[in-house]
Amino acid sequence: MSDLAHDAAVDLGHPEQESTGVENRKLGMWVFLSSEFLFFGALISTYLLYSNRAGFQGTYPAEVYDIPFTSVSSFVLLMSSLTMVLAHNALSGNDQNGARTWLFATAALGAIFLAGQVFEFTEFIVEAGMTLSSNPAASAFYVLTGFHGAHVAIGVIMLLSLWGMSRRKEGLSERQGMNLELVGLYWHFVDIIWIIIFTVVYLLSIRPA
Amino acid sequence: MTSEQHPAHPTPAQYWKIAVLLAVLTAVEVAMFYINNALDLKYFNSIILLSLAGLKFVIVVGWYMHLRYEESTLSRFFSAGFILAISLYTLVLTALGVLAVRGG
Repeated sequence: MSDLAHDAAVDLGHPEQESTGVENRKLGMWVFLSSEFLFFGALISTYLLYSNRAGFQGTYPAEVYDIPFTSVSSFVLLMSSLTMVLAHNALSGNDQNGARTWLFATAALGAIFLAGQVFEFTEFIVEAGMTLSSNPAASAFYVLTGFHGAHVAIGVIMLLSLWGMSRRKEGLSERQGMNLELVGLYWHFVDIIWIIIFTVVYLLSIRPA
Repeated sequence: MTSEQHPAHPTPAQYWKIAVLLAVLTAVEVAMFYINNALDLKYFNSIILLSLAGLKFVIVVGWYMHLRYEESTLSRFFSAGFILAISLYTLVLTALGVLAVRGG
């Protein structure tokens, strides 16, 4: 894009685009999310490597999973993707009240998921005695689910920031609307990573043969 | 702007229907966990669970993240990362004997 065209795009509040035909920030977010597959793939692989290896002292994660509880947590996170996309849809139709409401609902569901994770970790540590240093399988479990929880926490902070901006008199601007779309992409990605973790880590419940 | 034509995004009612579908798929996954505990389906259980997770993954990426309505550039970038990760870690886990053990 030439400097002149670039300046004109900025002045008119239009999204910046390169020769890809995609808005730069949106492309950047998709590339970032794509790279996150490698990050979580490494953590999931580490968990798989140690969870079926016999001979470690202490409790294995698969021995202490509470599937009904984690299923409810998974359902909560899945439904937060619905509220997120409804927030995006509302803002697309310039429904500021709707966007504000659905944004808050998404942040609240994310916070409920995090509270569930804190409860789960507490149960595992206090009741089952499985700590971060119990054995490599437990370490891999806590690091994987903990990093996912950290991603959820960052998402909740971003959602609450957008919600705070949306409460101003003028509501969310067009540029902030793009921010909402980017936060939405991040949030849905956190959800799809949990879809994988819930299946591979919890439901398959891999343990030493 | 793009010269490509994209279908219209889903309506809120369609988003709700997709959510119901995702909830049902999750319920089937959890049911599979208990069925496997009772019947020991072995590798059939893994295949079903991974297929259901894959279906949920595709639904969220395609409809909620709107990837099926976006430029193909985004699909290529996203798919590249996913395929790279799957390929790399499948190789690593196979080399370390994890998948061989699971595959019997």
